[in-house]
Amino acid sequence: MIRVVITGIGMVTPVGHKREEAWQNFLNGVNGAGEVSCFDTAEYKVHRACHVKNFATPLSPDISFPQSELYRWTYAATKEALEEAGLLNLDGLNPERCGIALGTLSADIRPWEYALRPDPSKKDNGLTPDVVPVYPPISITEGLSQDFGFEGPQNVFINACSSGNHAIAYAFDLMKRGRFDVMLVGGAEPVSQTEFTHFHNVNSLAPERCQPFDLNRKGLMIGEGAGMLVLETYENASRRGAEIYAELLGCGLSCDGHHMTAPHPEGDGARRAMLSTLKAARLSPDVIDYVSAHGTGTPLNDKTEVQALKAVFGDRATNLPCSSIKSMIGHSMGAASALESIICCMAIKRGIVPPTINYETPDPECDIDCIPNQARKLSVRYALNNSFAFGGNNATNVFGRI
Amino acid sequence: MGKRIVITGMGVISPLGFGREAFWKSLLEARSAIAPIQGLDVSQYGAKLGGELKGFKAEDFLGKKGLRYLNWGTKMLTSAVKLAIDDAKLEATDEFGDKTGIVIGSALANYPQTTNYTQMAMSRGPEDLMPMESYDVALNASINFVSVWFKMKPFARTIASGFTSSLDAIADAAELLRQGAADIVVAGGVEQFSIDAYLLFYWQKMLAGQKPDGNLNHEVNHPFGADRNGFVLSEGSYVVVLEELESAKQRGATIYAEVAGQSSLYIGNRKFTEAQKIDKTSRTMRAALNESNVEPEKLCFVCAAANSSKDIDVIEAKALRRSGINAPVNALKSLTGECYGAAGSLQVVASALALKDQTIPPSAVDYEIEDGLNLNLVRKSANANIETVLIDALDPQGNASCLVLKRPV
Repeated sequence: MIRVVITGIGMVTPVGHKREEAWQNFLNGVNGAGEVSCFDTAEYKVHRACHVKNFATPLSPDISFPQSELYRWTYAATKEALEEAGLLNLDGLNPERCGIALGTLSADIRPWEYALRPDPSKKDNGLTPDVVPVYPPISITEGLSQDFGFEGPQNVFINACSSGNHAIAYAFDLMKRGRFDVMLVGGAEPVSQTEFTHFHNVNSLAPERCQPFDLNRKGLMIGEGAGMLVLETYENASRRGAEIYAELLGCGLSCDGHHMTAPHPEGDGARRAMLSTLKAARLSPDVIDYVSAHGTGTPLNDKTEVQALKAVFGDRATNLPCSSIKSMIGHSMGAASALESIICCMAIKRGIVPPTINYETPDPECDIDCIPNQARKLSVRYALNNSFAFGGNNATNVFGRI
Repeated sequence: MGKRIVITGMGVISPLGFGREAFWKSLLEARSAIAPIQGLDVSQYGAKLGGELKGFKAEDFLGKKGLRYLNWGTKMLTSAVKLAIDDAKLEATDEFGDKTGIVIGSALANYPQTTNYTQMAMSRGPEDLMPMESYDVALNASINFVSVWFKMKPFARTIASGFTSSLDAIADAAELLRQGAADIVVAGGVEQFSIDAYLLFYWQKMLAGQKPDGNLNHEVNHPFGADRNGFVLSEGSYVVVLEELESAKQRGATIYAEVAGQSSLYIGNRKFTEAQKIDKTSRTMRAALNESNVEPEKLCFVCAAANSSKDIDVIEAKALRRSGINAPVNALKSLTGECYGAAGSLQVVASALALKDQTIPPSAVDYEIEDGLNLNLVRKSANANIETVLIDALDPQGNASCLVLKRPV
């Protein structure tokens, strides 16, 4: 049986542009929220989001899309992950057995917004020759394939907030079937006026800060960033003597089939995603040490996620450590579940889990141990990562210590 | 390979007709869908031809209720899925939803609606937008809508891999069935005609009639043609119902074809020479055939990706040759134009119908073929003994993907 492990991690987030800096800030409970800077929010009721600020990591000038912020983040996270894995040049590998799968919700939509904004009535809908190269979602992975020499297939998964985990599940299946030795997976997302407006107009945005599982939580905050992981077969990683973060043990998908914007009232799809993940990994719920919650901070999501956790973990649900980094970096949509997969891997490797910040008032309907406000030392053997998207599109995965 | 996966239903919303029968009839008659673009104002641009959907009304397939706020792409996809489910003689009950997942490929998906929405937000201000105008906004909203409409519970996935999107989606659907993630998977593609899509390709000088220097040529849709100069944009939604052979047999379903093998590689690197791209495409073809236990020289039929582009057509033709494939080739896009992300699913539907009918549909080829391509291009529909079909999807900046269908036994 082919085993799949994680040998490299890279991330660009609102609380750090490099893996170690971001990780330290997650543990310190740094809040990444601030004023929206990519468009004027004067006509909106909410003015805050979690931006990647002052990104100035030097990059090679001949990267595919140097003009695109999103591409630069994704490139930097990829480079960091491949460097850590010792695979920057795919040395000793057949590049055709190395593929890419990436999740995103809006892809690189911001250059288009910048182009349209001066005159939104334009008949060409803002599709200028400058915007065209980065407009299709696939541009991101085409750039990565080009810049890092991957020659296996590259695919983009557009599954709203569970896109990253969908990409990981896809790569996992292909690797288990022996088709690929290495898959670069992850997610990338910009703060865009498009998604900001969308969530604003369905009254889902928190005005000030993101407070998952708190009684007074007011909604989600839009976030951005990129998170990339190197998946590698265990055989390949051991042959190279690569250091391993964790093993990817199973992925589970589900769909609410219920409503375009509201989750199932009892978290039925969320429950099924978790159960099918555990089943795929042949694990009992009893062995899970940590859950990286979807935990968006909307009244409905957090409540139904807790219901689903209770349905899966029974009495254990109330004291099972379960935090949401969205409290710090907001909801980075297509990148979110990839970043949260990273959290699970790092928690397993480092024996400490990040907190849910901005937590003040317990909600009787969210009576779980959300690791309030302070990181906690915790020996994590198995970590479960939830992601539940608009439209009831769910994808969960589970990582284990090797 | 483990479980054997078969196609038991097809849904078609195409410029060549709605439903598999109308579509197949048009193919056999070699009826072209290419005409001057009517749905978009392209007066200030050079490329004037398109393969647009005409006379499509979603209520003809879905009834009148619940369609008011749906966008064009969502209507096409939902209608195609409904037709496919009906064709498979399945009933869209709760029980059906419990065991049915969906994987759809679309290069741009709902981008046009998403950008229209932002355009409205920018011009009118956010408060002026009705909540229902937010309903269908997200690139994957049409796939979500289908999952909600048919109460699908196992999964809903959207793949955007450029021109290979829907072929990659059907390959992925077969994998998901093999590992037991669902009992039935509805898979295919959808792509809409929009100014966004048009300009995306127009500015890259990929449309028919465009010369790299910005001047205009005579605009033609001639896959493999000597005078080809770019592709003609098309739209549509093509969907298949996939399930395991055994369960299909048990319920007495009509089995159109078996999904026998697949393969995919990235060919888009700007550093690759044409020879390297041909080599990689050829190896992708052979890997898919190998997985299907089909010898290249015994392959019966090729449903080609050729779309009248300078680069893709020659890569495909030479890769076929390099692979030792001499089978008859159909250039389907000579009739429909290029519906990019949905093209692979268009080819799968046409190929499955060819297997079922044991007939190779003709290409609309009354033009001169480029010298040296050495193709066995089908010009007239012909009855033939077809056991196997190779379907290619090629993206000049992305993947080469291949899928093999077999006649069910």
